[in-house]
Amino acid sequence: MSDTKAELNLDRSVGDFSYPEHHAFDAGYGLTPDTINYIADVKGEPDWIREFRLKALDVFLSKPLPTHWATKDLETLEFEKIRYYLAHGQRPTRSWEEVPEDMKQTFERLGIPEQERKFLAGVEAQFDSEAVYSNIQKAIGEQGVIFTGSTEALIKYPEIFRKWFGKVIPTGDNKFSALNSAVFSGGSFIYVPPGVKVKHPLQAYFRINAENFGQFERTLIIADEGSELMYMEGCTAPKFETATLHSAVVELVALKGAKIQYVTVQNWSSNVFNLVTKRGVAHEDAEIKWIDCNIGSRLTMKYPGVVLKGRKARGEVISIALASNGQHQDTGAKMIHAADETTSNIVSKSISAGTGRATYRGQVHIPKHLKGCKNNTECDALLINPDSRTDTYPAVTVRGTGNATQHEASVSQISAEQIFYMQQRGLTEGQAMSLSVNGFVNDLVRQFPMEYSVELKRLIDLEMEGSVG
Amino acid sequence: MKSLVIKDLHANIGEREIIKGLSLEIECGKIHAIMGPNGSGKSTLSKVIAGHPDYTVTSGEVLMDGENILGMAPDERARKGIFLAFQYPMEVPGVTIANFLRAAVSARLPEGEELEATEYYQRLYEKMDLLEMDRSFTARSVNEGFSGGEKKRCEILQMAMLEPKYAILDETDSGLDIDALRIVSHGVNVLRSPDRGMLLITHYQRLLDYIVPDVIHVMVAGKIVMSGPKELALELESKGYDWLTEEEPAPAV
Amino acid sequence: MSIPLFTDEPVRAAARQLFKSLPMPGRLDEAWRFADTKALDMSPFEAMPAPIDGDPARFVKRSRGLTETAGKMIFANDQLLSREVLDASLAQKGVIWKPLEIAAAEHPELFAKHFMAHGAPLGSEKFAALHAASVKTGTFLYVPRGVEIDLPIEVFHWLSGEKNSSFPHTLLIAEANSKVTLVDYFTGAQPDASGLAVGFNDLYVGEGAQLNYVCVQNWSLQTLAIQVNNTVVGANASAKSLNVNLGARYARNESASQLIGEGGRSDMLSVTVADGDQVFDQRTFQDHLAPGAFSDLLYKNALDGGARTIFAGMIKVEPDAHRTDAYQKVRNLLLSDNAEANSMPGLEILADEVRCSHGATSGQIEPEELFYLLARGISKNNAQRLLVQGFLQEAIDRIGNPALAEKLGEIMRAKFGN
Repeated sequence: MSDTKAELNLDRSVGDFSYPEHHAFDAGYGLTPDTINYIADVKGEPDWIREFRLKALDVFLSKPLPTHWATKDLETLEFEKIRYYLAHGQRPTRSWEEVPEDMKQTFERLGIPEQERKFLAGVEAQFDSEAVYSNIQKAIGEQGVIFTGSTEALIKYPEIFRKWFGKVIPTGDNKFSALNSAVFSGGSFIYVPPGVKVKHPLQAYFRINAENFGQFERTLIIADEGSELMYMEGCTAPKFETATLHSAVVELVALKGAKIQYVTVQNWSSNVFNLVTKRGVAHEDAEIKWIDCNIGSRLTMKYPGVVLKGRKARGEVISIALASNGQHQDTGAKMIHAADETTSNIVSKSISAGTGRATYRGQVHIPKHLKGCKNNTECDALLINPDSRTDTYPAVTVRGTGNATQHEASVSQISAEQIFYMQQRGLTEGQAMSLSVNGFVNDLVRQFPMEYSVELKRLIDLEMEGSVG
Repeated sequence: MKSLVIKDLHANIGEREIIKGLSLEIECGKIHAIMGPNGSGKSTLSKVIAGHPDYTVTSGEVLMDGENILGMAPDERARKGIFLAFQYPMEVPGVTIANFLRAAVSARLPEGEELEATEYYQRLYEKMDLLEMDRSFTARSVNEGFSGGEKKRCEILQMAMLEPKYAILDETDSGLDIDALRIVSHGVNVLRSPDRGMLLITHYQRLLDYIVPDVIHVMVAGKIVMSGPKELALELESKGYDWLTEEEPAPAV
Repeated sequence: MSIPLFTDEPVRAAARQLFKSLPMPGRLDEAWRFADTKALDMSPFEAMPAPIDGDPARFVKRSRGLTETAGKMIFANDQLLSREVLDASLAQKGVIWKPLEIAAAEHPELFAKHFMAHGAPLGSEKFAALHAASVKTGTFLYVPRGVEIDLPIEVFHWLSGEKNSSFPHTLLIAEANSKVTLVDYFTGAQPDASGLAVGFNDLYVGEGAQLNYVCVQNWSLQTLAIQVNNTVVGANASAKSLNVNLGARYARNESASQLIGEGGRSDMLSVTVADGDQVFDQRTFQDHLAPGAFSDLLYKNALDGGARTIFAGMIKVEPDAHRTDAYQKVRNLLLSDNAEANSMPGLEILADEVRCSHGATSGQIEPEELFYLLARGISKNNAQRLLVQGFLQEAIDRIGNPALAEKLGEIMRAKFGN
């Protein structure tokens, strides 16, 4: 398994390189209606999208930063010093050879082509604002599965796209969903027809290459009745001098009996603000499962949610967060029960090392007159160093007599005795730490696809070795 | 003559039929025992008689001294004189045995009549002595943190206090060591009375060495398949239940 | 120069000014999340408590507490009606137990140090200012070093009349290795009269001291009640507090416990019986400032009718408060389809070698448990009532005083209509 490291490149140092920029399209710094019009013009978008963007800009500007509950670190974001759109101007290609040389090198260093050959049903790679490469296996395409970039989809499949776009996460959901709605570009669009079970995962890869740049991809996945899909995304960026912003919106729709698993391994460099809104709607007997791992970024704010809209729908969030020196992982989950006999499950494990801070924020809502709904939430936090910090802020609302919720959280440390025991058996302190931390997250790591779980373990090893001494 | 009569009883849990046409008559003053393999529906029968809401009676009757009790709420049946000693008694956190039994005894008093506290405690202590229960038990929450033997003693204590007309003892012997079995059986034997009928439900013959029944029934797959005198227990002990089920195999439950 | 007293007009005027200048809590205030802040309209009520009319003896008569107490004070509409000291030896031992305004004049240095010294850290700054502007009287209890008062001391506050207001205050100082139990009863004289009650407690538990504090909140069902409790727990000291919440239309209770010494222990207990359209809004803070301290919170809410509860608890382990043990549990029992329970159990951990956990559950009476009681012939109503009392009992028992537990049981049964 030793070579999976080079192939999957979740190691932050592996992503820490960049190539000189020569963008054909650059919306410049700052955000005004002109920026929006520039983006819409360059992309040749229909009027309804332009209007949607302009409205969203108003909402974004009118909403305050949510610092009444969120960290004040958000105030260091300088929206006027960010570039909102950068592209080379070519359409995404289906042939690897046609990808421009510097981007090809980037993704080859990150191991995309190998992965595609190995186990993916399809892959899409986004470089700054636009997808540069998008491929789907022929067999999957023939089953009617659509896997393409959002930019392409809104032009090629307007009837499906427009029906669901912005319906799960309205523009005004929060300040950053409004920002995304104003300037979104790239991201994946997937449609799985009724009954089709996509065996291998589809994957997208997001790469920020330019300094002072904001990436705002928009992903929309629709799993039609009885279909099944696993989607995986990975992200990297080089470490620049100044902060970079990533603010995505991801909407999932699982129609009756469908299943969606959405796996994220977030490993942005440690100066990225990662402010993401992710939510799915699960119809009758459908299942949406978010498997979310946050290792990188300076500040991540992300609370994947499921609206349990149909009877017997199921929602799940499995979350691992690792906050090292200078990082704040503010993650969690949202479960909105809206039908009888819906069940939701949240398992969150966080590790705070060095001066890192891990925060769990959760919301579980079981409103009026529903029967037979259940939520179970477990949050466990592990503190490694005396300066490490962890917080838990759940909110649970239950109405009526037919439902049950249970929330449990605990905070613990690795005992000195345990470390000593392992050291006495000949392990270094760092190795002992790694073993213990891996033990702490082991049950969750097993939920990730094999290739990812091996890599996750290795990443934890790296982080732990650095946190000792 | 006074008796508890079960007539061609059919009962379901959900869609599945568990009691499939069972008939039985327990006369006042007599002890009947039902034996049978696991899954034959013995415990279900006890719950149906007590009126557990999970079970639906699809046909048949249960007559107590001539009155059909099937339409009654569980508490009404209990006040009329049905008592069930549970196989797995529930823990009731925060409610002491003394308060619990006071509520149960008071519920049987005529409207407007108050329980006389001294008398009540006198009776309670008397029955506890009979069952060799320490008096400190009165202040403990019902069944909470009790051992298996303590729970069963607590069930018999309740029976002694509530003086039912008909008592159903569901696997009262399960989980008891010999000492506890002796104490519990003694408690039950003291409560034998010409005014009271009892139904023992058990898997093993052992209990019947201590509480000797008048009649033994064998239940298989939701029905009584054989009835006889107490010696039938010995035969079952040596031969097992398989010979009874050859014609109609018991469903795996 | 003399120390200003809370009764001095300039002090009150400044507080009044502060009350006016602070904004009303709004929708975006995290400290008021889930609360209906519209319920906080104070305009209908008397600015200062109107005096009682009629015979004060009727309140004295109705102030039935424990059979055995060390002393009893009775107030109605913030007016002292009666003060009984049942143990004459207490004064000899240096125990000071007086109405607040008298004690303030006699011991200004103690008041300067302790009276409302910790503000309202959980959101009610504005109402704390109102209290400071309006408080007339209350209880002052000072227990000197090493003095143990075995029997509880009881204080009754009555609120009588329509649209009247009350601002009860309890300032208690338990010096090192002393021991005391204090019970506050807040009661509405007329069951349906509307009223405003804004109370404040300062409880100081010195090194090795033991305090048991119980508050029975039974204001009338049309009362807007806000109560702020600040407890400071010294090294190896123990503070146990129990709030019994029965009355009021909207009752906000903010309880903060600061653990400032190693080996200190704080038990924060609460039972709530919510019915009709009552709202109980509970905010708690277990603030670990010193290493090696212990805190344990247990809140139990039973909700019937269209009642709502809000629980927001925070365990904060400050930097350097290593070796902290802190626990927090809220349990909601929902008895009707319109009842709503909101739980926000929180943790903020900034120290090392910490053992912390919290849990929140919401559920209903287990059908099997109910059936067990029905099978004993207990009617459904009575069975439910017994099970609810049993559910709440755990928190009441933890105060460790059977006579008091019995008294509280009696008061609660009255709310159940038994």
